[in-house]
Amino acid sequence: MVEKWLQNQSLFCCFFVFLLLLPFGTVAKGQSFDRNQYIYDEAQLLTAKEKANLQSQASQLGKKRNTAFIVVTVNGTDGKTLKRYVEDFYDKYAPGYDQPHGNTAILAIDMQKRNVYLAGFQKAEKYLDDSRLDQIREKITPDLSDGNYFQAFSAFLNTSDEYMNYKPGVNPENILFKWWFQLAAALVVAGVVVGLMAYRSGGRVTVNAGTYLNHDQSRVLSHYDNYIRTIVTKVKKPSNNSSSGGGISSGGHSHSGSGGKF
Amino acid sequence: MILHYKCPSCGSDMSFDSETGDLSCPSCGRHEKIENYQEELQTSSANDVETKEYHCENCGAILLTTADTTATNCSFCGAGVVIADRLSGQLAPAKVIPFTISKEEAIDAFKKWCRKGLLTPRGFMNADRIKSITGMYVPFWLFDLNSKVQVSAECTKVRTYTQGDYIYTETKYYDAFRDINLDYVKIPVDASEKMNDELMDRLEPYPYDQLKDFKTPYLAGFLAEKYNYSDDELLPRAKDKISSYIESYISSTFAGYHSVFYKNKQIDTKNVNSNYVLLPVWMVSYDYNHSEHTFAMNGQTGKVVGKPPISMGKVAAWFSGIAAGTFFALKCVSFMLGGGFW
Repeated sequence: MVEKWLQNQSLFCCFFVFLLLLPFGTVAKGQSFDRNQYIYDEAQLLTAKEKANLQSQASQLGKKRNTAFIVVTVNGTDGKTLKRYVEDFYDKYAPGYDQPHGNTAILAIDMQKRNVYLAGFQKAEKYLDDSRLDQIREKITPDLSDGNYFQAFSAFLNTSDEYMNYKPGVNPENILFKWWFQLAAALVVAGVVVGLMAYRSGGRVTVNAGTYLNHDQSRVLSHYDNYIRTIVTKVKKPSNNSSSGGGISSGGHSHSGSGGKF
Repeated sequence: MILHYKCPSCGSDMSFDSETGDLSCPSCGRHEKIENYQEELQTSSANDVETKEYHCENCGAILLTTADTTATNCSFCGAGVVIADRLSGQLAPAKVIPFTISKEEAIDAFKKWCRKGLLTPRGFMNADRIKSITGMYVPFWLFDLNSKVQVSAECTKVRTYTQGDYIYTETKYYDAFRDINLDYVKIPVDASEKMNDELMDRLEPYPYDQLKDFKTPYLAGFLAEKYNYSDDELLPRAKDKISSYIESYISSTFAGYHSVFYKNKQIDTKNVNSNYVLLPVWMVSYDYNHSEHTFAMNGQTGKVVGKPPISMGKVAAWFSGIAAGTFFALKCVSFMLGGGFW
C-alpha cells in the first residue's frame, strides 16, 4: 500500500518536476535563439554571400536604430496566416535589439502563397506604423514579384532605416522632405523674386481697376441666376486592398503591420 | 504768334515757378498770378503753322522748333517762349497740370531713385552722369468712357460629400445674366508720337485735383508739344486700357460660383467726353557705359519710370542669396515637421 503510494507519489513528483522544468525548456530554446542573427532564409532564396551581406547590413543599421531588422522567408506556414506566423515568431523567439521582445521590424515572405507581411514591434511599431509599412511594402513588392529577393530585402532594410529618421506620424515620403524638391523650390523662388525685381526696376504700374472707375455710376443694373439642373456623380472610396494592418499577438505583443501579395 | 513774358517791373524774362505755381521773375522776384492772367489766344487759322519760321520776341534770333513744339526756350537768349498759333482753335488744351517739382528737386529725386535700385550697377547708382533734364508738357487725351455690358453665362456650384462607400460630386448648373453699367473717367492716353506709350502709362496716376484751366504762362520756361493723334484715333487705345478692368468687374459679379462659362458677352464702350490736356513730365537722359538711357518722371508725384541698366553681379548675388535662404528655410520647415535636417 505504502509502496504503491510512494510509487504514485514519485510518479507525481516526476510529473511535477517535469511540469516545473517545462517552461525552462522553452526558455532554454529562446536563449539558444541567436538574437544577432537577422536573416532566416528557410525558403533558400539567397546565396551565402547575399545572406552574409544582408546580415551585416541589418546589424549595422540595427545598431544605428536600436532595432532588430529581421528577414524571414518560408515555404508554407502550416495553415496559419502569415501575420499569425510573424506574431508567433516574435512570441516564440523573442527577438529584439537589446532585450527579448524588444524593438523589432520583421519582413516575412511565404513562397507558397506568395504573401508578404511586414511588422513593427516596440519602437518599430511607433516609427514604422501601418502606413509607413504599407509604403515600404509597395516599394519592394515589384522586386519580390520579379524574384529579386536580395534587392527587395536590402531595400526593406535601408528604407526602414530611412523612415525611422522621421518623427512618428509624419509621412516620410512627403515632398517637403526631399532635398531635390527643396533645392528646386529654392531656385524657383530666387528666380521669380529676382525676375520680379528686374521687371519692377523700370517702375511699376500703380493704377488698378478702381483708379478710373466712377463708383457712383458703375453698378449691376439687373441680374438673374436661374437654377437649371443638378448632376450627381459618385465614385467608390478608394479601399485599401492590403490584407491587414497591425494587431496583437497571442503572446500579448501589439504591433504595426502591412501585408499583401507579390 | 509768339508769346513771351516780360517782367512788368524790371523787364527780365519771366517763367513758371513750380513752387508757388505763379509766373515769377528771377531778377526782381515779382510774382504774377496765372489764374488772373488775360489770355491772348486768338482763333487764328492754323494753316501754315508747321512751316512758319518763328523769331524770338526778345532777341530776334530764329527759334529752333520742330513742327510739334508749342513752347520752348530761345536757344540764343534763353527766354521762355510760347508759340500761341499752335495752342489755339483745335489745338487749344482744355486743362493743364502744372509742374510742382522744380528742376533741382527733379534731379535730387532722380538721384535718390538711382540709389534705391537693387539691381543697378554701382557706377549707375551715384547718378553723376545726367546728360540733360528737360521739363516737358506732354499732350494727353483724358477720356470719359461709358461701357454697357451684358453677359449671360452658364455657372456651376460644386459640392462633394461622402456617404457610405461612395464619394458624391454634386454639380448645380445655373443660367446667369448680368446687365452692368460702367463709367470710367479721365483715362489718360498720351497723344505724342515721340513718347513711349509704355513709359507714359507707367507714370500714372496723375493727381487730377491739380488740373487747372489752361493758360499759356504755365508753359513759360518749359518745353511743350501739341498732340499728334486726335481723340478719335486714340479711342481704341483708351478702350484697350480699360478692357482688363471691365473683365475683372464682370468676373467679380460672378463670385460664389466654381466655374463660369460665358455664353454671350457684349461690351459696348462709348466715348462720353474727351479733353485735351497737358501733363508735366521731366525727361532725364543719362549716359551710362556709352549708351543713353531715358527716364521719365511724373512732374507732380515724382514717380520715376524707365529701364535702368542691370548689373549681372548683383543679379547673381541676389539670386544665390535668396536661393540659399529659401533652401535653409525649407530645411527648417522640414525639420520642424519632423523630417530631420538632412
